[in-house]
Amino acid sequence: MSQKCTSKQEAEPVSRRQFLLTAGQGAGAIALAGLREKTGESAFRKPHFQPRAKNVIWLFMHGGPSHVDLFDPKPELIRHSGQPVPDSFGEVMTRRDVGNNPLLAPVKPFFPRGKSGLEISDFLPRISECADDLCVIRSMHGDSVNHPQSVYQMNTGTTLMGNPSVGSWLAYGLGSENNNMPAFVVLPDPGGGLKGGPPAWGNGYLPASYQGVTMRPGKTPILDLQPSAGITFEQQERNISLLRSLNHQFFNDSERDDELGARIAAYELAFRMQMEAPGIVSLDQESQHTQRLYGLDNPQNFEFGRRCLLARRLVEQGVRIVQVYSGDTGGWDAHRNVLDNHGKYCRQIDVPVAGLLKDLRQRGLLDHTLVIWGGEFGRMPMSEQGKGRDHNPWGYSCWMAGAGIRGGRAIGSTDPIGLRAMENKVHVRDFHATILHLLGIDYRRLSFRHNGLEKRLTGPDRARVVREILT
Amino acid sequence: MEHVVAQPSLTNNEQTEHWSFLPIQVKPLPKLVQDVDASWPRNGIDFWVLSEMKKNGLRPMPQAPRRILIRRLKLDLLGLLPTTEEIREFEADESQGAYEKWVNRFLSSPRYGERQALRWLDLARFAETDGFEHDKIRAQAWRYRDWVVQSLNQDLPYDLFVKFQLAGDELVPDNQAAQIATMFCMSGPDMPDINSQAERRHFLLNEMTSTMGGVFLALQLGCAQCHDHKYDPVSQEEFYQLRAIFQSAVHVKKNQSISQLEEKRSYEKSYLMVRGDYQRPGVEVFPGFPRVLNKEEEVIKDNPSNESFTGRRSQLANWITGPDHPLTTRVLVNRLWQDHFGAGLVTTPSDFGHMGSRPSHPNLLDWLAAELVRANWSMKHMRYLMVTSSAYRQASSPRFSVEAVGSRQRWKESKGRDPENRLISRYPRRRLDGEILRDCMLQISGTLNFKMSGPGIRPPLSEEIAQTLLKDQWLVTTEEEEHTRRSVYVFSRRNLRYPFFEIFDRPDANHSCPKRNTSVTAPQALVLLNSQFSLACARRFAGRVLRDSPSDELFVRRAFRLAVGREIRDNERVKSLDYLEKQKMQKGGGNKKRDRSSYPLPLPETMPPGPSIAYTQYCLVLFNLLEFCYSP
Repeated sequence: MSQKCTSKQEAEPVSRRQFLLTAGQGAGAIALAGLREKTGESAFRKPHFQPRAKNVIWLFMHGGPSHVDLFDPKPELIRHSGQPVPDSFGEVMTRRDVGNNPLLAPVKPFFPRGKSGLEISDFLPRISECADDLCVIRSMHGDSVNHPQSVYQMNTGTTLMGNPSVGSWLAYGLGSENNNMPAFVVLPDPGGGLKGGPPAWGNGYLPASYQGVTMRPGKTPILDLQPSAGITFEQQERNISLLRSLNHQFFNDSERDDELGARIAAYELAFRMQMEAPGIVSLDQESQHTQRLYGLDNPQNFEFGRRCLLARRLVEQGVRIVQVYSGDTGGWDAHRNVLDNHGKYCRQIDVPVAGLLKDLRQRGLLDHTLVIWGGEFGRMPMSEQGKGRDHNPWGYSCWMAGAGIRGGRAIGSTDPIGLRAMENKVHVRDFHATILHLLGIDYRRLSFRHNGLEKRLTGPDRARVVREILT
Repeated sequence: MEHVVAQPSLTNNEQTEHWSFLPIQVKPLPKLVQDVDASWPRNGIDFWVLSEMKKNGLRPMPQAPRRILIRRLKLDLLGLLPTTEEIREFEADESQGAYEKWVNRFLSSPRYGERQALRWLDLARFAETDGFEHDKIRAQAWRYRDWVVQSLNQDLPYDLFVKFQLAGDELVPDNQAAQIATMFCMSGPDMPDINSQAERRHFLLNEMTSTMGGVFLALQLGCAQCHDHKYDPVSQEEFYQLRAIFQSAVHVKKNQSISQLEEKRSYEKSYLMVRGDYQRPGVEVFPGFPRVLNKEEEVIKDNPSNESFTGRRSQLANWITGPDHPLTTRVLVNRLWQDHFGAGLVTTPSDFGHMGSRPSHPNLLDWLAAELVRANWSMKHMRYLMVTSSAYRQASSPRFSVEAVGSRQRWKESKGRDPENRLISRYPRRRLDGEILRDCMLQISGTLNFKMSGPGIRPPLSEEIAQTLLKDQWLVTTEEEEHTRRSVYVFSRRNLRYPFFEIFDRPDANHSCPKRNTSVTAPQALVLLNSQFSLACARRFAGRVLRDSPSDELFVRRAFRLAVGREIRDNERVKSLDYLEKQKMQKGGGNKKRDRSSYPLPLPETMPPGPSIAYTQYCLVLFNLLEFCYSP
């Protein structure tokens, strides 16, 4: 789409600059001590201003969870249920031409929760217990009624393919706190089939080392982390040692340049990751109590719960941002029956998400960890096929918790039936600007030159940091 | 409809007098100081390179030894390693022009087009699927890849190469290959099932126009979609004038992929789209060329006699390839230079505008550009000139140099005064691209399948990766021997780059990529050390060497020679033998079934299987040597 053209920069020697960027990235890449001394670079890069959060856990509900059934109570929708959308709302673009279908009341009742009285529906009884931690944004809106475009927009700022994801931008902007682990980790739904696929956590035009590294709980958390079957640890150690000595012997100190040095270091790091990562991802060390908190004792929570717990462990280890996906190809895409679909997914995530919030709080991690919950869009107030709902990018809800954000409240609103964002609207780019702000980054200053354009996450248009969240 | 202000005037000298918009000027070769290096130049390239070096008080590095030269050359031209026999033959050939003989031999190999096509396909943002949610297969897309391979092998002159890709259907309507070439325009991502087909077409046209500008003219027109270009003298109106050229050839139907241009005469009007918004047409525009590059004020007129073709794209193609166009030839020779010298004379190969970098050797760039036209736009000729130059034959480090004396000093000075190697005072050692690395590993393992052309093949993916895709998006090719075909034939899915390539910086196919990153990451080490692919190659490699190596000593010598193209040194030999000894002693995991997956293939009958794993692992280590992964 469009990019902002900003002021001309001095042409930097690209190769070296790129290389240093890559080199300073933590385990996606190499932090080379000697090199850093020479250049003053560090794997950890300073934010623009005092951040509220150091880490992010982003719970991504793929398919589009229904705001009008979960976090955005609409009495008018109950009142007009079964009737067509009043003319005053005008024409609306929908994916499946549901504009003239009758309105559908929320399929579960809402109740005030916690001390704050924030309203949440009965779909999410356990998350409701954490209502006082949640700051719900009820006025989100985006630009496309299609899944992949919206998945891209929520992740990369534009509806087109090929742009860096929020996680990649953070990895690029802030680096990693742990040189043995990647800065950006993605825990995909094991069902697979995210609409739009892996470009959702792609690095776009940023160097490859900033892309999301996918991990799984279990014995093979990272691709090719362990040597092939039949090769023991000692044998592998001997391989690395032979490699080291042959490389060193051939490229003696005076001939080894930064890049060769970094590549040698890459093997040392790979070896350390091989050692350390399995420990980090192993959940065995967690107490019974903690495991239960995430619902690991319950088959329907087990899978998502493990990934939530892993997310906490990764953040503890200094991973900058962890994205946890819920929902396979279909996911939360409740076209036919909201009650069935959301019933199933809410049962999977309710306990683990509540457990995550409680666990982060009790460990003191919530203060500097931003937790985000949301999908690529919400759902229409009209029905589809009787009991389902179509996609709605024009108005929907996400929530944030942690990072010193005052919970127990909602910001912005949709119109009386939940069709469009109305008050205090928060466009996806505003949402992104706010996330960056919470991490101490000025969205206008985090940019990367690509094909002659100074590109940034929020694109060329003016974005708005949602100040209300910060108060 | 909205109206915008008229075209901004082109009065700013700084903008119109920008170096790349000025005519190409061929200056006489520079006079050289009569010093020790006076006999260094072999062709025009060297005169310009040496004269700049001398101005900066530098001397060229001595020549690289023959085994290095042939490795560099074959990797560069064919993307493969020289065989032991080839190295021996070249080292033994003392005739005049021995090196040039190899250059010609490689240039006429069918492997040449396969290697060079990868470079063009990066620019063409080529993939065999649509992208977005369904990422559907474009069943005919491979034909474009094959066309590129063949055209490069046949050395199709660059002007025709451009013309066919922009307007093959109009220019030679009966030639099927020329039709296929136009797939270049539609190679980008597309979403056939998007609700608004108007939006889809808008993005396709904009993307096509921007890509055309970047690839052929190194003009970044992207900015001008939404507003007048801030730094280059291209207005928003001019962007939409260029876009109007394609308009009559792009027709979309919901849920249908498109790949070729299809010219239909219509009387549809073209508009400037306000702020790049597809719902906001502004003033009407007519097909035209940017003024700053159109001093002759050529006008595009629809062909009145032909009923099916407007002829707009032919006129665009002819204009771009006109012998006096200041950008087209400069841009191409600069890309070829980058292929062989690591960086272009202009380091921003798809941006020759004000935001791009300036040429390090403007006279050389123009000399090359003129030479291209003189040589009938032959890309092979230009590559020949580059790789036979003395500049190309320099050593990359003192170790790889024929003259021991003084080379260390010169290398230090080169590194010190020319850290970015803008003066080409040494040869830049470069890491191999993932595709080439894979091909070389297959080659060494003796399993590389040289079958050419046809639909992309799908080697097995690890389960974890396959899981991130929709069902059946990576149906593994059934015939196993197909799995080891050259990398250029590996299926290119837009939503999933083949992991081995991706990890070594293959660009995603959503934007034209003029220059790859070269990142250094731990996952690269993990893949080379631990992946099933590396293991499979190492097993074959070990099996192949064991076949006629009766002793460990011979095994180590032979394996080393195959992998890095030189004799093993004494200390390396000692270390290697010691390694084998210890590795053989090591008890395996104790799991026979798992151990078996690491035996050399074939396992010699007389060899006890347990210790045989050591040979596989030694070969695995060789694949990880810096010397293996770099072009020297």
